[in-house]
Amino acid sequence: MSPERDPLTVFAQLAADLGPALIPVGHRDLLHSITETARRLFTARACSVALLTESEDELEFIMASGEGAEAVRELRIPASQGIAGWVVMSGQAIAVDDVGADPRFAASVAETTGYVPRSILAMPLQTDRRVLGVIEVLDRADRSAAGLGDMELLALFAGQAALVIESSTMFGELGRVLLESLAVAATDADVAMQLQRHASSAPQPRKDLGEIAALFQELGHAGARERRLAVRLLRDVLESIGDREPE
Amino acid sequence: MSQPAWSEQFDGDRLPRVASSLPDVISREWALDGATGAGIRVAVVDSGIDQKHPAVRHIEGAVALEYDPEAASGVRITEGAHGDAYGHGTACAGIIRTNAPECDLFSVRVLGSRLTGKGPVFAAGIRWAVTHGMHVVNMSLSTGKHDYYGLFHEIVDLAYFRNVMLVCAVNNVPGPSYPSQYAAVFSVAAHSGKDPLHFDYNPNPPVEFGAPGISLDVPWLNQGTITASGNSFAAPHIAGVVARILSKHPGLTAFEMKTVLAALADNRSAVTS
Repeated sequence: MSPERDPLTVFAQLAADLGPALIPVGHRDLLHSITETARRLFTARACSVALLTESEDELEFIMASGEGAEAVRELRIPASQGIAGWVVMSGQAIAVDDVGADPRFAASVAETTGYVPRSILAMPLQTDRRVLGVIEVLDRADRSAAGLGDMELLALFAGQAALVIESSTMFGELGRVLLESLAVAATDADVAMQLQRHASSAPQPRKDLGEIAALFQELGHAGARERRLAVRLLRDVLESIGDREPE
Repeated sequence: MSQPAWSEQFDGDRLPRVASSLPDVISREWALDGATGAGIRVAVVDSGIDQKHPAVRHIEGAVALEYDPEAASGVRITEGAHGDAYGHGTACAGIIRTNAPECDLFSVRVLGSRLTGKGPVFAAGIRWAVTHGMHVVNMSLSTGKHDYYGLFHEIVDLAYFRNVMLVCAVNNVPGPSYPSQYAAVFSVAAHSGKDPLHFDYNPNPPVEFGAPGISLDVPWLNQGTITASGNSFAAPHIAGVVARILSKHPGLTAFEMKTVLAALADNRSAVTS
Protein backbone atom coordinates (compact mmCIF):
# COMPACT_ATOMS: atom_id res chain seq x y z
CA MET A 1 0.00 0.00 0.00
CA SER A 2 1.49 3.37 -0.94
CA PRO A 3 2.14 5.70 2.00
CA GLU A 4 -0.42 8.25 0.74
CA ARG A 5 -3.18 5.65 0.87
CA ASP A 6 -2.28 4.20 4.24
CA PRO A 7 -5.45 4.99 6.21
CA LEU A 8 -3.48 5.90 9.34
CA THR A 9 -1.36 8.41 7.40
CA VAL A 10 -4.49 9.89 5.82
CA PHE A 11 -6.10 10.04 9.25
CA ALA A 12 -3.05 11.75 10.78
CA GLN A 13 -2.98 14.37 8.00
CA LEU A 14 -6.72 14.96 8.28
CA ALA A 15 -6.44 15.40 12.05
CA ALA A 16 -3.46 17.73 11.67
CA ASP A 17 -5.38 19.91 9.19
CA LEU A 18 -8.55 19.87 11.26
CA GLY A 19 -6.89 20.48 14.63
CA PRO A 20 -6.20 24.21 14.29
CA ALA A 21 -9.81 24.82 13.28
CA LEU A 22 -10.99 23.11 16.46
CA ILE A 23 -8.94 25.23 18.88
CA PRO A 24 -11.61 26.75 21.10
CA VAL A 25 -12.50 30.27 19.98
CA GLY A 26 -11.63 31.68 23.38
CA HIS A 27 -8.00 30.59 23.60
CA ARG A 28 -6.37 33.66 22.07
CA ASP A 29 -8.81 35.92 23.88
CA LEU A 30 -8.05 34.15 27.13
CA LEU A 31 -4.32 34.57 26.63
CA HIS A 32 -4.83 38.24 25.84
CA SER A 33 -6.98 38.57 28.93
CA ILE A 34 -4.24 36.97 31.04
CA THR A 35 -1.53 39.39 29.84
CA GLU A 36 -3.86 42.38 30.09
CA THR A 37 -5.09 41.45 33.59
CA ALA A 38 -1.52 40.88 34.79
CA ARG A 39 -0.43 44.20 33.28
CA ARG A 40 -3.22 46.10 35.06
CA LEU A 41 -2.82 44.25 38.34
CA PHE A 42 0.87 45.13 38.50
CA THR A 43 0.23 48.61 37.06
CA ALA A 44 2.88 47.69 34.52
CA ARG A 45 3.67 49.21 31.14
CA ALA A 46 3.58 45.88 29.31
CA CYS A 47 3.07 42.15 29.72
CA SER A 48 3.99 39.52 27.16
CA VAL A 49 4.13 35.78 26.57
CA ALA A 50 6.89 34.22 24.46
CA LEU A 51 7.11 30.54 23.52
CA LEU A 52 10.09 28.38 22.67
CA THR A 53 10.25 27.60 18.98
CA GLU A 54 10.33 24.00 17.79
CA SER A 55 14.13 23.98 17.61
CA GLU A 56 14.17 25.26 21.23
CA ASP A 57 16.80 27.90 20.48
CA GLU A 58 14.53 30.93 20.07
CA LEU A 59 11.66 32.58 21.90
CA GLU A 60 8.74 33.89 19.85
CA PHE A 61 6.38 36.45 21.37
CA ILE A 62 2.82 35.25 20.75
CA MET A 63 0.87 37.68 22.92
CA ALA A 64 1.50 41.10 24.41
CA SER A 65 -0.44 43.87 26.11
CA GLY A 66 0.52 47.46 26.71
CA GLU A 67 3.44 49.42 25.36
CA GLY A 68 5.06 48.09 22.18
CA ALA A 69 2.48 45.26 22.10
CA GLU A 70 1.87 45.33 18.35
CA ALA A 71 5.55 45.48 17.48
CA VAL A 72 6.62 42.72 19.82
CA ARG A 73 4.16 40.11 18.56
CA GLU A 74 5.86 37.47 16.42
CA LEU A 75 9.26 38.95 17.30
CA ARG A 76 11.84 36.22 17.84
CA ILE A 77 14.82 36.51 20.18
CA PRO A 78 17.59 33.97 20.76
CA ALA A 79 17.11 31.86 23.91
CA SER A 80 20.87 31.86 24.43
CA GLN A 81 20.95 35.31 26.04
CA GLY A 82 18.97 37.86 27.99
CA ILE A 83 16.81 37.66 31.09
CA ALA A 84 13.99 35.76 29.33
CA GLY A 85 16.51 33.28 27.90
CA TRP A 86 18.00 32.53 31.30
CA VAL A 87 14.55 32.11 32.87
CA VAL A 88 13.48 29.60 30.24
CA MET A 89 16.76 27.70 30.46
CA SER A 90 17.01 27.61 34.25
CA GLY A 91 13.32 27.17 35.07
CA GLN A 92 13.70 29.89 37.71
CA ALA A 93 11.77 33.14 38.03
CA ILE A 94 13.74 36.35 38.29
CA ALA A 95 12.99 40.04 38.78
CA VAL A 96 15.41 42.67 37.55
CA ASP A 97 14.82 46.20 38.80
CA ASP A 98 17.12 47.76 36.25
CA VAL A 99 18.11 45.99 33.05
CA GLY A 100 20.58 48.74 32.20
CA ALA A 101 23.56 46.45 32.65
CA ASP A 102 22.11 43.84 30.30
CA PRO A 103 22.36 45.66 26.98
CA ARG A 104 21.55 42.55 24.98
CA PHE A 105 17.99 42.55 26.24
CA ALA A 106 17.54 46.18 25.38
CA ALA A 107 19.05 45.71 21.94
CA SER A 108 16.97 42.71 20.90
CA VAL A 109 13.56 43.87 21.98
CA ALA A 110 13.75 47.63 22.24
CA GLU A 111 15.05 48.05 18.68
CA THR A 112 11.83 46.55 17.37
CA THR A 113 9.39 48.07 19.81
CA GLY A 114 11.00 51.45 20.32
CA TYR A 115 10.37 50.99 24.02
CA VAL A 116 13.20 50.29 26.45
CA PRO A 117 12.03 48.80 29.75
CA ARG A 118 13.88 49.46 32.99
CA SER A 119 12.54 46.53 34.96
CA ILE A 120 11.48 42.98 34.16
CA LEU A 121 9.68 40.32 36.13
CA ALA A 122 10.03 37.04 34.22
CA MET A 123 8.70 33.59 35.00
CA PRO A 124 8.89 30.31 33.11
CA LEU A 125 5.72 28.82 31.63
CA GLN A 126 5.86 25.10 32.21
CA THR A 127 3.88 21.93 32.72
CA ASP A 128 5.15 18.75 34.32
CA ARG A 129 5.98 17.57 30.79
CA ARG A 130 7.98 20.47 29.43
CA VAL A 131 8.95 24.12 29.46
CA LEU A 132 6.77 26.12 27.08
CA GLY A 133 8.18 29.62 27.32
CA VAL A 134 8.14 32.69 29.50
CA ILE A 135 5.74 35.37 30.76
CA GLU A 136 7.22 38.82 31.36
CA VAL A 137 5.89 41.90 33.13
CA LEU A 138 7.75 45.09 32.21
CA ASP A 139 8.08 48.23 34.32
CA ARG A 140 5.79 47.59 37.26
CA ALA A 141 4.76 50.81 38.99
CA ASP A 142 5.89 49.65 42.43
CA ARG A 143 8.57 47.03 42.24
CA SER A 144 10.39 47.63 45.50
CA ALA A 145 7.64 47.07 48.04
CA ALA A 146 6.26 43.79 46.87
CA GLY A 147 9.46 41.72 46.95
CA LEU A 148 8.78 38.15 45.94
CA GLY A 149 5.05 38.62 46.45
CA ASP A 150 4.81 39.81 42.84
CA MET A 151 6.51 36.62 41.75
CA GLU A 152 4.02 34.46 43.58
CA LEU A 153 1.18 36.45 42.05
CA LEU A 154 2.62 36.15 38.56
CA ALA A 155 2.98 32.39 39.13
CA LEU A 156 -0.83 32.17 39.13
CA PHE A 157 -1.02 33.88 35.74
CA ALA A 158 1.84 31.71 34.47
CA GLY A 159 -0.10 28.60 35.49
CA GLN A 160 -3.21 29.78 33.61
CA ALA A 161 -1.25 30.73 30.51
CA ALA A 162 0.55 27.38 30.48
CA LEU A 163 -2.78 25.54 30.63
CA VAL A 164 -4.22 27.54 27.74
CA ILE A 165 -1.10 27.09 25.62
CA GLU A 166 -0.80 23.39 26.36
CA SER A 167 -4.41 22.80 25.44
CA SER A 168 -4.05 24.83 22.20
CA THR A 169 -0.95 22.83 21.34
CA MET A 170 -2.93 19.62 21.80
CA PHE A 171 -5.39 20.76 19.12
CA GLY A 172 -2.51 21.88 16.93
CA GLU A 173 -1.03 18.40 17.16
CA LEU A 174 -4.35 16.63 16.96
CA GLY A 175 -3.01 13.89 14.68
CA ARG A 176 -0.27 12.90 17.07
CA VAL A 177 -2.47 13.20 20.17
CA LEU A 178 -5.27 11.04 18.70
CA LEU A 179 -2.92 8.35 17.45
CA GLU A 180 -1.09 8.25 20.78
CA SER A 181 -4.38 7.93 22.64
CA LEU A 182 -5.43 5.08 20.36
CA ALA A 183 -2.06 3.41 20.94
CA VAL A 184 -2.58 3.56 24.69
CA ALA A 185 -6.08 2.13 24.33
CA ALA A 186 -5.10 -0.64 21.89
CA THR A 187 -5.10 -4.11 23.43
CA ASP A 188 -3.07 -5.69 20.61
CA ALA A 189 0.66 -5.00 20.99
CA ASP A 190 1.30 -4.93 17.21
CA VAL A 191 -1.52 -2.48 16.62
CA ALA A 192 -0.28 -0.31 19.49
CA MET A 193 3.21 -0.27 17.98
CA GLN A 194 1.86 0.66 14.53
CA LEU A 195 -0.19 3.48 16.04
CA GLN A 196 2.76 4.73 18.09
CA ARG A 197 4.97 4.70 14.99
CA HIS A 198 2.42 6.77 13.06
CA ALA A 199 2.00 9.09 16.02
CA SER A 200 5.71 9.90 16.11
CA SER A 201 5.71 10.70 12.38
CA ALA A 202 2.34 12.49 12.38
CA PRO A 203 2.47 15.62 10.22
CA GLN A 204 2.58 19.10 11.75
CA PRO A 205 -0.49 21.20 11.07
CA ARG A 206 -0.19 23.38 7.96
CA LYS A 207 0.38 26.87 9.23
CA ASP A 208 -1.72 28.66 6.62
CA LEU A 209 -4.72 26.45 7.36
CA GLY A 210 -4.33 27.35 11.02
CA GLU A 211 -4.32 31.02 10.08
CA ILE A 212 -7.48 30.62 8.01
CA ALA A 213 -9.13 28.85 10.95
CA ALA A 214 -8.08 31.68 13.28
CA LEU A 215 -9.55 34.26 10.87
CA PHE A 216 -12.86 32.40 10.85
CA GLN A 217 -12.85 32.45 14.63
CA GLU A 218 -12.33 36.20 14.60
CA LEU A 219 -15.21 36.56 12.15
CA GLY A 220 -17.36 34.99 14.83
CA HIS A 221 -17.03 38.26 16.74
CA ALA A 222 -17.97 40.41 13.74
CA GLY A 223 -21.48 41.64 12.97
CA ALA A 224 -23.84 39.95 10.51
CA ARG A 225 -23.06 42.50 7.76
CA GLU A 226 -19.31 41.99 8.11
CA ARG A 227 -19.73 38.23 8.01
CA ARG A 228 -21.82 38.47 4.82
CA LEU A 229 -19.07 40.62 3.31
CA ALA A 230 -16.48 38.01 4.25
CA VAL A 231 -18.53 35.24 2.67
CA ARG A 232 -18.85 37.29 -0.56
CA LEU A 233 -15.10 37.92 -0.63
CA LEU A 234 -14.33 34.27 -0.06
CA ARG A 235 -16.68 33.24 -2.89
CA ASP A 236 -14.88 35.74 -5.13
CA VAL A 237 -11.53 34.26 -4.19
CA LEU A 238 -12.73 30.73 -4.90
CA GLU A 239 -14.28 31.85 -8.21
CA SER A 240 -11.08 33.56 -9.32
CA ILE A 241 -9.10 30.45 -8.42
CA GLY A 242 -11.53 28.49 -10.59
CA ASP A 243 -10.07 25.37 -12.08
CA ARG A 244 -6.47 26.53 -11.67
CA GLU A 245 -4.01 23.86 -10.69
CA PRO A 246 -2.82 24.46 -7.10
CA GLU A 247 0.73 25.85 -6.97
CA MET B 1 25.09 -12.46 43.46
CA SER B 2 26.53 -11.83 46.89
CA GLN B 3 24.52 -9.66 49.23
CA PRO B 4 26.25 -6.63 50.68
CA ALA B 5 27.22 -7.39 54.26
CA TRP B 6 26.29 -4.02 55.70
CA SER B 7 26.57 -5.08 59.29
CA GLU B 8 30.25 -6.02 58.77
CA GLN B 9 30.89 -2.29 58.97
CA PHE B 10 29.92 -2.52 62.61
CA ASP B 11 32.24 -5.41 63.59
CA GLY B 12 34.34 -4.40 66.54
CA ASP B 13 37.68 -4.37 64.64
CA ARG B 14 36.41 -2.53 61.63
CA LEU B 15 34.23 0.03 63.28
CA PRO B 16 35.97 3.37 62.75
CA ARG B 17 36.28 5.75 65.70
CA VAL B 18 34.43 8.95 64.97
CA ALA B 19 35.77 12.20 66.37
CA SER B 20 33.21 14.54 67.84
CA SER B 21 32.83 17.26 65.25
CA LEU B 22 30.22 19.49 66.85
CA PRO B 23 30.80 21.46 70.07
CA ASP B 24 28.31 21.46 72.92
CA VAL B 25 27.28 24.98 71.97
CA ILE B 26 27.30 25.93 68.31
CA SER B 27 28.11 29.61 68.00
CA ARG B 28 28.87 31.94 65.09
CA GLU B 29 32.34 32.46 66.58
CA TRP B 30 33.03 28.72 66.51
CA ALA B 31 31.61 28.32 63.01
CA LEU B 32 32.72 31.43 61.17
CA ASP B 33 35.34 33.54 62.93
CA GLY B 34 38.59 33.66 61.00
CA ALA B 35 37.17 31.44 58.24
CA THR B 36 37.49 32.50 54.59
CA GLY B 37 36.50 29.48 52.56
CA ALA B 38 40.17 28.83 51.73
CA GLY B 39 40.80 25.36 50.29
CA ILE B 40 37.11 24.66 49.66
CA ARG B 41 36.11 23.92 46.08
CA VAL B 42 32.75 25.39 45.11
CA ALA B 43 31.12 24.56 41.77
CA VAL B 44 28.63 26.96 40.21
CA VAL B 45 26.34 24.92 37.96
CA ASP B 46 24.87 27.67 35.81
CA SER B 47 25.51 29.78 32.69
CA GLY B 48 29.29 30.08 33.12
CA ILE B 49 31.36 32.61 35.09
CA ASP B 50 33.04 35.77 33.84
CA GLN B 51 36.27 35.59 35.83
CA LYS B 52 37.26 39.10 34.77
CA HIS B 53 34.41 40.50 36.83
CA PRO B 54 35.87 42.38 39.82
CA ALA B 55 33.44 40.64 42.17
CA VAL B 56 34.75 37.24 41.03
CA ARG B 57 38.48 38.02 40.46
CA HIS B 58 39.53 34.51 39.47
CA ILE B 59 38.27 30.96 39.13
CA GLU B 60 40.18 27.73 39.53
CA GLY B 61 38.62 25.78 36.70
CA ALA B 62 35.82 25.56 34.16
CA VAL B 63 33.95 22.87 32.30
CA ALA B 64 31.15 23.25 29.76
CA LEU B 65 28.53 20.57 29.17
CA GLU B 66 26.38 20.57 26.05
CA TYR B 67 23.75 18.40 24.47
CA ASP B 68 25.33 16.26 21.77
CA PRO B 69 23.25 13.46 20.22
CA GLU B 70 26.47 12.07 18.68
CA ALA B 71 28.11 11.54 22.09
CA ALA B 72 27.56 8.17 23.77
CA SER B 73 25.91 9.73 26.84
CA GLY B 74 24.17 12.45 24.83
CA VAL B 75 26.37 15.05 26.54
CA ARG B 76 29.64 16.59 25.35
CA ILE B 77 32.02 17.73 28.09
CA THR B 78 34.66 20.38 27.32
CA GLU B 79 37.14 21.44 29.98
CA GLY B 80 38.68 24.90 29.72
CA ALA B 81 37.82 28.58 29.97
CA HIS B 82 34.46 29.89 28.79
CA GLY B 83 32.41 33.03 29.32
CA ASP B 84 28.96 33.71 30.69
CA ALA B 85 26.34 34.49 28.05
CA TYR B 86 23.61 35.44 30.51
CA GLY B 87 25.33 36.96 33.53
CA HIS B 88 23.60 34.77 36.10
CA GLY B 89 26.49 32.39 36.82
CA THR B 90 28.72 35.43 37.39
CA ALA B 91 26.15 36.79 39.86
CA CYS B 92 26.18 33.53 41.82
CA ALA B 93 30.00 33.38 41.81
CA GLY B 94 30.23 36.96 43.12
CA ILE B 95 27.73 36.26 45.91
CA ILE B 96 29.62 33.11 46.96
CA ARG B 97 32.83 35.18 47.05
CA THR B 98 31.18 37.68 49.38
CA ASN B 99 30.59 35.00 52.00
CA ALA B 100 33.66 32.84 51.28
CA PRO B 101 36.24 35.26 49.80
CA GLU B 102 39.05 32.73 49.45
CA CYS B 103 37.17 29.66 48.22
CA ASP B 104 38.15 27.99 44.94
CA LEU B 105 35.42 28.64 42.37
CA PHE B 106 34.73 26.27 39.49
CA SER B 107 32.37 27.09 36.64
CA VAL B 108 30.21 24.19 35.44
CA ARG B 109 28.33 25.62 32.48
CA VAL B 110 25.15 23.70 31.65
CA LEU B 111 22.95 26.48 30.23
CA GLY B 112 23.73 27.07 26.60
CA SER B 113 22.11 27.95 23.33
CA ARG B 114 19.05 25.72 23.39
CA LEU B 115 16.81 23.92 25.83
CA THR B 116 17.02 20.54 24.08
CA GLY B 117 18.68 17.97 26.32
CA LYS B 118 18.66 20.26 29.34
CA GLY B 119 17.74 17.55 31.87
CA PRO B 120 20.58 15.14 31.00
CA VAL B 121 23.06 18.03 30.59
CA PHE B 122 22.12 19.51 33.95
CA ALA B 123 22.34 16.07 35.60
CA ALA B 124 25.75 15.45 33.99
CA GLY B 125 26.93 18.82 35.31
CA ILE B 126 26.03 17.89 38.89
CA ARG B 127 27.61 14.47 38.40
CA TRP B 128 30.80 16.11 37.11
CA ALA B 129 30.98 18.28 40.24
CA VAL B 130 30.30 15.35 42.57
CA THR B 131 32.97 13.17 40.95
CA HIS B 132 35.64 15.88 40.53
CA GLY B 133 36.38 16.74 44.11
CA MET B 134 33.97 19.63 44.67
CA HIS B 135 32.95 20.22 48.30
CA VAL B 136 29.97 22.50 47.64
CA VAL B 137 27.76 22.82 44.55
CA ASN B 138 25.50 25.80 43.91
CA MET B 139 22.47 25.22 41.71
CA SER B 140 20.22 28.15 40.98
CA LEU B 141 18.27 26.12 38.49
CA SER B 142 15.71 23.37 38.46
CA THR B 143 13.52 21.21 36.27
CA GLY B 144 9.86 20.48 36.81
CA LYS B 145 9.86 17.60 34.34
CA HIS B 146 8.69 14.52 36.17
CA ASP B 147 10.60 12.20 33.80
CA TYR B 148 13.82 13.33 35.48
CA TYR B 149 12.74 12.58 39.04
CA GLY B 150 14.74 9.33 39.25
CA LEU B 151 17.79 10.65 37.39
CA PHE B 152 18.27 13.58 39.75
CA HIS B 153 17.42 11.57 42.84
CA GLU B 154 20.22 9.13 42.06
CA ILE B 155 22.80 11.92 41.66
CA VAL B 156 21.65 13.77 44.76
CA ASP B 157 21.99 10.57 46.81
CA LEU B 158 25.46 10.00 45.34
CA ALA B 159 26.44 13.53 46.40
CA TYR B 160 25.09 12.98 49.90
CA PHE B 161 27.01 9.72 50.36
CA ARG B 162 30.21 11.39 49.14
CA ASN B 163 29.57 14.34 51.44
CA VAL B 164 29.30 16.86 48.62
CA MET B 165 26.93 19.61 49.77
CA LEU B 166 24.34 20.54 47.14
CA VAL B 167 22.73 23.94 47.59
CA CYS B 168 19.60 24.49 45.45
CA ALA B 169 17.33 27.45 44.84
CA VAL B 170 13.69 26.46 45.21
CA ASN B 171 11.31 27.38 42.47
CA ASN B 172 8.57 30.01 42.67
CA VAL B 173 6.68 28.18 39.97
CA PRO B 174 3.83 25.99 41.29
CA GLY B 175 4.44 22.23 41.28
CA PRO B 176 7.45 20.17 42.28
CA SER B 177 10.91 21.01 41.01
CA TYR B 178 14.06 18.95 41.07
CA PRO B 179 16.59 18.76 42.62
CA SER B 180 15.44 21.33 45.22
CA GLN B 181 12.65 18.94 46.29
CA TYR B 182 14.91 16.23 47.71
CA ALA B 183 15.66 15.99 51.43
CA ALA B 184 19.42 15.60 50.93
CA VAL B 185 19.94 19.06 49.39
CA PHE B 186 20.14 22.45 51.09
CA SER B 187 17.03 24.09 49.61
CA VAL B 188 16.97 27.86 49.74
CA ALA B 189 14.43 30.66 49.17
CA ALA B 190 14.87 34.43 49.39
CA HIS B 191 14.17 36.65 52.39
CA SER B 192 14.24 40.42 52.30
CA GLY B 193 17.33 40.86 54.49
CA LYS B 194 20.45 42.52 53.08
CA ASP B 195 23.22 41.24 55.37
CA PRO B 196 24.90 38.47 53.31
CA LEU B 197 25.42 36.39 56.47
CA HIS B 198 21.78 36.69 57.57
CA PHE B 199 20.10 33.33 57.10
CA ASP B 200 16.95 31.79 58.54
CA TYR B 201 15.88 28.21 59.13
CA ASN B 202 12.41 26.98 58.20
CA PRO B 203 11.29 23.99 60.27
CA ASN B 204 8.56 23.23 57.72
CA PRO B 205 10.40 21.88 54.65
CA PRO B 206 10.80 21.30 51.70
CA VAL B 207 12.43 24.74 51.74
CA GLU B 208 14.83 24.70 54.70
CA PHE B 209 16.85 27.91 54.53
CA GLY B 210 16.22 31.57 53.75
CA ALA B 211 18.92 34.02 52.59
CA PRO B 212 19.04 37.46 50.93
CA GLY B 213 17.51 37.51 47.45
CA ILE B 214 15.37 40.62 47.08
CA SER B 215 16.49 43.83 45.35
CA LEU B 216 20.18 42.97 45.58
CA ASP B 217 22.95 44.56 43.55
CA VAL B 218 24.55 41.54 41.92
CA PRO B 219 27.42 41.15 39.44
CA TRP B 220 26.25 40.76 35.82
CA LEU B 221 27.53 41.07 32.27
CA ASN B 222 30.26 43.44 31.11
CA GLN B 223 31.78 43.65 34.58
CA GLY B 224 28.68 45.55 35.66
CA THR B 225 25.92 44.97 38.18
CA ILE B 226 22.14 44.82 38.09
CA THR B 227 19.57 45.09 40.86
CA ALA B 228 17.66 41.85 40.93
CA SER B 229 15.45 39.52 42.99
CA GLY B 230 14.96 35.77 43.04
CA ASN B 231 15.57 32.60 44.99
CA SER B 232 18.42 32.03 42.56
CA PHE B 233 20.38 34.77 44.37
CA ALA B 234 19.56 33.37 47.81
CA ALA B 235 21.11 29.94 47.17
CA PRO B 236 24.68 31.22 46.57
CA HIS B 237 24.57 33.07 49.91
CA ILE B 238 24.04 29.73 51.66
CA ALA B 239 26.64 28.04 49.40
CA GLY B 240 29.13 30.71 50.52
CA VAL B 241 28.28 30.26 54.21
CA VAL B 242 28.63 26.48 53.88
CA ALA B 243 32.04 26.85 52.15
CA ARG B 244 33.20 29.27 54.83
CA ILE B 245 32.20 26.98 57.72
CA LEU B 246 33.67 23.97 55.92
CA SER B 247 37.05 25.71 55.54
CA LYS B 248 37.27 25.99 59.32
CA HIS B 249 35.62 22.63 60.09
CA PRO B 250 36.44 20.37 57.13
CA GLY B 251 35.24 17.21 58.88
CA LEU B 252 31.59 18.21 58.94
CA THR B 253 29.11 15.98 57.11
CA ALA B 254 26.16 17.35 55.17
CA PHE B 255 23.74 16.53 57.97
CA GLU B 256 26.01 18.17 60.55
CA MET B 257 26.23 21.24 58.34
CA LYS B 258 22.44 21.48 58.31
CA THR B 259 22.48 21.22 62.08
CA VAL B 260 25.04 24.04 62.27
CA LEU B 261 23.00 26.26 59.94
CA ALA B 262 19.80 25.56 61.86
CA ALA B 263 21.56 26.32 65.15
CA LEU B 264 23.03 29.58 63.85
CA ALA B 265 19.94 30.77 62.00
CA ASP B 266 18.99 34.35 62.78
CA ASN B 267 15.39 33.43 63.49
CA ARG B 268 16.56 30.87 66.08
CA SER B 269 18.85 33.33 67.86
CA ALA B 270 16.00 35.77 68.07
CA VAL B 271 13.79 33.19 69.75
CA THR B 272 16.32 31.93 72.31
CA SER B 273 17.79 35.28 73.37
